[in-house]
Order: sequence, then C-alpha cells, then structure tokens
Amino acid sequence: MSPKQTGQRLGVHPAPQVPAYPASGRIMKGSVNLQPSLRARNRHSLNPGGGYWFWYLLPALLVYILFMAYPMLDSVRLSLYAGTTGTRQYVGLANYTRLFTDPVVSTRFWGAFKNTWVFFAYHMLVQNVLGMLFAVILTSRTMKGRKIYQTIIFIPCTIAVMVSGYLFRLLLNPQFAGPSLRAMGLSALVRPWLGDPRTALNVVSLVSVWQWVGIPTMMFVAGLQGVSEDLLEAADIEGCNAWQTFWHIKFPLILPVVGMIAILTFVSNFNAFDVVYAMTGPNGPPNYATDLIGSLFYRYGVAGEHPIGIPEPGVGAAISTSVFVMLLAGVLPTLRATQGRD
Amino acid sequence: MKKLTALLLAALMLATLVPGLVQAEGVKLTMGSWRSDDTAQVQALLDKYKELTGVEITFQPTVPAQYNATLRLQLDNGTGPDLMYSRTFAASKELYDAGFLLPLNDIAALKDNFSAASLEAFMADDGTIYAVPYAAVSQIVYYNKAIFAENNLEVPTTFEELLNVAQALKDKGIEPLANGIASNWDILECVFLGMLPNYVGGAEERALYEAGERKMNDEAFVKALTDFAALSKYLPEGFEALANEDGPGMFGMGRAAMFIDGSWTVGMFDEYPDLDLGVFAIPAPEGHTPGLCFHSDMGMAGNAATQHPEEVKAFLAWFASVEGAQEAANLLPAGFYPMINAPVELSGEMAMTILGLNEGKVLDYRFIWKDFLGMYTVMVDNLNAIARGETTPEAAAEAFAAAQEEILAAKAE
Repeated sequence: MSPKQTGQRLGVHPAPQVPAYPASGRIMKGSVNLQPSLRARNRHSLNPGGGYWFWYLLPALLVYILFMAYPMLDSVRLSLYAGTTGTRQYVGLANYTRLFTDPVVSTRFWGAFKNTWVFFAYHMLVQNVLGMLFAVILTSRTMKGRKIYQTIIFIPCTIAVMVSGYLFRLLLNPQFAGPSLRAMGLSALVRPWLGDPRTALNVVSLVSVWQWVGIPTMMFVAGLQGVSEDLLEAADIEGCNAWQTFWHIKFPLILPVVGMIAILTFVSNFNAFDVVYAMTGPNGPPNYATDLIGSLFYRYGVAGEHPIGIPEPGVGAAISTSVFVMLLAGVLPTLRATQGRD
Repeated sequence: MKKLTALLLAALMLATLVPGLVQAEGVKLTMGSWRSDDTAQVQALLDKYKELTGVEITFQPTVPAQYNATLRLQLDNGTGPDLMYSRTFAASKELYDAGFLLPLNDIAALKDNFSAASLEAFMADDGTIYAVPYAAVSQIVYYNKAIFAENNLEVPTTFEELLNVAQALKDKGIEPLANGIASNWDILECVFLGMLPNYVGGAEERALYEAGERKMNDEAFVKALTDFAALSKYLPEGFEALANEDGPGMFGMGRAAMFIDGSWTVGMFDEYPDLDLGVFAIPAPEGHTPGLCFHSDMGMAGNAATQHPEEVKAFLAWFASVEGAQEAANLLPAGFYPMINAPVELSGEMAMTILGLNEGKVLDYRFIWKDFLGMYTVMVDNLNAIARGETTPEAAAEAFAAAQEEILAAKAE
C-alpha cells in the first residue's frame, strides 16, 4: 500500500472517537484537564513522522529474535561444530561433508529426503484435494447436516498423534486385526502393512492424511463462505454447471487460501516426526522405509542411535540447516505465485 | 510494606548467591538413572543409606531412551548428578575417557567382591575401574506350559528339538513365537546374541574375534546365522510389523507358545494370572557346549566433578560391600541379578528359576558389546533381511566380517 493510499483511506474515515468523559467518576477531575491535550495529540498521531512505529514493533521483534531468529542462526553456527557443549570444536564444513559424502549417512539423508517428499505428496495431493472436495460439498447450498459432517471430519485433528498412531499400529497388524478382518471375509487385507518396506510409508502417510484432512477442510470452508453469493447466482443464471462454477469462480477466488494451505502443508510435513515415531519408531523401520527428515534429525541430533545413544548435535544441525535452505527454496516461489496480488 | 518486600527480596537474592548459607549441615547428593520405573524402591534404599550415614541422596531418573544423551549433556555443562547409573562397555567408557567419571581403583571391595568378568564391563584401557557392577540380565526363552502340555511337547534340549517343537506347533495352527522385528533391537539383542554363546563360546573365544584372530564369517557364525534363519521361519504372521512391546501381550494372552526375550520382562507376566509360565535356555545345537548370554547391564559410577568426592566414594564403597549389595538386591526389579560374588537373596521365584538356567553353562556378555558395538546396525539390518528372506546366512556372515574388519582397522590406527 503506498503512502498516498494510506492518506486517502484515513482521510475518508473519521478520526477514532475518544469518549469525552470516562465512565468512572473517580478520575473525572483529572480527565477534564487531560482532554484537550489528548485531542491535540490525537490529531497529530495520524502521522507524527519519525521512527515512532518502531516502538510498536519492538515487543514482537524481541520475541521473534530471541525465540526464532537467534536459535535458527545459532543452529547454523552449531552445524560447523562437532561434539557436545563442553567438548565443542570448530570443524568447518566437516558435518556437511559427512552428511553428503559418507556412504551410510548420505544414504540415510537422501532416503529420508525422498521419503519426506512422498509423505508431502500424499498430503498435497490426497489430503488437500480431499479437503477441497469436502469443503465444496459442505458449502453447497443444498447440503443438509453441514455441522455434523464438519465435526466428524475435524474430530481426528483433536486426537493426540501418539494415540491415533498407536491405534492404527494395532489395526494394521495381522496379530491384532487379523481375526476380525478374516471374520468379515476381508482376508486380503490381513497384511503386515507397517512391516513391508513397499507399503509402510504409504500407510503412514495415509494415516496422517486421515488425521489432518480436517484442517484444510476448515480453511477451505472459511474461504468458500467468503465467496460472494451474487457471483454464484450470476453463474447460475448464465448456466454454469457445478464444475464450471468451481473451476472458474470459486477456485480463483480462494487461490490465496490454497497457496497458504500449500505452504503450511509443505512446512509441517518437512518437520513431520510424531506420526513416524508413533507408528513405526525413530529408526523409520522397516529398513528405513518410513525414515523422514524429522526422524533422521531426531536420531542424529537429539537422541543418538541405540544402543550408545550419544547424539551428534553438529550433524543434526547440518541436517536441519540443509532442510531449512530447501524449505526456503520451496516456499518463496510458492508465496510469490499465490500471495501478494493486492 | 514496600521496604519489607524489598528487604525480603534482597535477602532471597543473597541466599541464592551464597548457597552455603541456606544449605543444611548434611551433605546432599543427586543420583541419575534410567530406571524411572524403580523410583520408589531406589528412594527406599537411599533413605536407608541416610539413616546409616546422614548423607541425603536424591534420585533423579530420566526416561530410558533419553538417559545417555541427557547425562552427556548434563556432564558437558557441569550439571551432572554426583552419582549415576552406568551403562556397560562403550557407552560408559566413552564418559570415563572424556574425564567425567571418578576412577575407583582405591575401593578394595571391588576386587574382592566382584569377578574379573563383572569388572570388565566397567574397565578403561589402562585397567582403571570406573563403576561398581550392579546388575546383570539374561536372554532366555519363555514358554507357555499349558500349550506345551496340551500338545504333548517336551522342553527342547537342543536347537534341533526347538525347531521340531516350533514345527509341531505350527502344524497345529499355533503361533510358535511371539517375536517380531519391528523394534529393530530385540531380534539382535535377545534372539541372535542370546543364541550366540552356543556357537562361539564364552569370553575367551570372544577375545579371539576382538583380536582379529577369528573372523565373523567362520564356521561358528555361519552355523549360528543358518540356525537363526531356520528359527525365523517360525516367527508369527506379520512379524515384520510386530514390536518388542507387542510380544509380552501376545505371549501373555496365549496367542503364541514361546517368546525369546530378556529376564527383565519377567515382571510383566504378573499381569496375566492365567499364564502358566515356564522358562528354558536357548538350546545349543547337537554337539555344541551350551552357553548363555548373561549380560552385565548396569553399574554405579561417581561424577569426577562432584563437590563432595568423599561422600560419593563412601557411597560407592558401601554399594560395593556385601551389606550394600544385599540392600540393593532387595530392591532390584525382578529379572535383574546382582553381580556380587556373595550369596545374595533374591525375591521372585521365576526370577530365581531364570538365574538357575546359568548352571553349567558358558556365560558371556552380549558378543558385540565390548569392542563391536559399532556394527550393531549392520547386524540388525542383516538379521531383519534374513528373517524377510532377502539375504542368506552366508551373505550376512560376509557383511559381519567386513564390519569386523572395518572396526579392527579403525582401532589399529
């Protein structure tokens, strides 16, 4: 927004009104004297000039620097060191060299990298498309019992991942779910879904999709409810079918929401860890088939590998820094493509 | 009013600055541990010790999976506990080598009350002992007596008989074993390393592998892996997705006839009153000397940077004495066995039965714990692959030998 626009907008609207007298009688005496000065200041406050705005930013900025920017930059610094706190030594780019050239570590890293993309693809293509479908159905004018369906779709989001992950671990296991599945004549489904490297990651991804589909649904519903009724009516009158209405009217209008969801999906799935930890374990079994960047980072940077369990924070930081750079490279173009069309 | 508050605040700040002022006369120590399950029992032991000496020790356990990392972080930052549970071999030796643990050579009771084998788990390269041996565990086969009786099955005495029993059970539609591979540790630590003393022998033979005189693709290892492959055919349906935590439930409810696991699990079967529990050692193949994996699991160490080295040493000396060991043994959870060379009474009949399996067998630690912990992942991955039918015992033995060579080469440097 240009300064000119700001001035115009503020000019159109009346200045915010200050109550002439405070409601409480006790400070009335003082307020009589205060009033003119308040008014005077108010007039100037439209644009007093100088760096006054900085003080409004300061609290948020401090919190952001202290809890976000500093730790993030410090983790970049940490990636150049080996050892833990007391024995930390500067090793330059050795952690990165190890991460990308050591046969074991680099295999794990690229394996986890690939798995994370698959995991992300499931959320992008299945979770978000389902979310959009649900949202369009839920906001349809002829839809009945909207609240009930909305609640049902959202309920899984409120369950702790450790709980839902554990329940699915049992449900997907032949020893626990086998007898009932066979009784239902579904013996083809009695398989060690989480034990087979070919199916494990797909199953873990789908469980996560099931759990979180409510979030994009809610956001798309909110977006679609904001679409003007006039436009939809006009489309109706012009003889648009449902698909045309969706594709040419609703979808373009909620594109900013779609972009936001895409970014959130991207970021949260590249940090995913809990569902793997709950359903298969921090090693990403079987045979590292469900190892994500998150679990890899946990193993190297936080917990260390069983049985010694001494972490290498430097390698962990190198993993997280590399992923940060990759995330940035993914998020910036998406932001540019979908946001900021004021 | 304001003045008073300010005064109080100032006094409070002063008090925190000079800890000596607020501290009571008695010395206070802290104890780190991964046995968060045993808080009540250990606190009772520490109360007893306070009665005896006036030294107060606070028990501060961490979750098992995070203990090593947390402890390392605390020690690095100088906030480590005065006393701490110590893992065996590499995990604790690393701490001693970094200078975090008190050397304990001047505690005479250590040499008198513990065998050289028990001390080996806490010995630095120069022979310094840095922890008092505390408890050991063993890896054995739990079996359901009722299922065995119904099917007229005898407890197997050789590995071949074990395979026959498993086949007989499978033929009748009963799952022979409750073991899985999803946890990525028990298939190695409980099953394969439990079997191994039957094939390679005890500590003396292990030393030959550690010196590089024997290779892990020799006859003994190939035989052990071949037998493991044969046994893995009897893992339950969906074993690929069964975790170690699933085993006790499955076995306890009678859904499987046997469960190869550690003695530390024995307490969990109390939850299944209908289970007619029996145990036997993992049998040796025909013609082999029977062995058993009796693994040194925990010790007690002192922090080299403690403020009270005298009191810490005094506690460790008491812990290494017969009286101290008896007190500690009373509080050990079922399935953990004191390592002191003295007749110590243990509670729990089944726990005693498990200990009885040691009789007449060559005992040794988990084979890879001393020098070959670096090949842990190679071993787990290969055992998993054998169980899935993706590799052969011979190929796995080659992978083991390659890893052994790599570790020995790194050590020689």
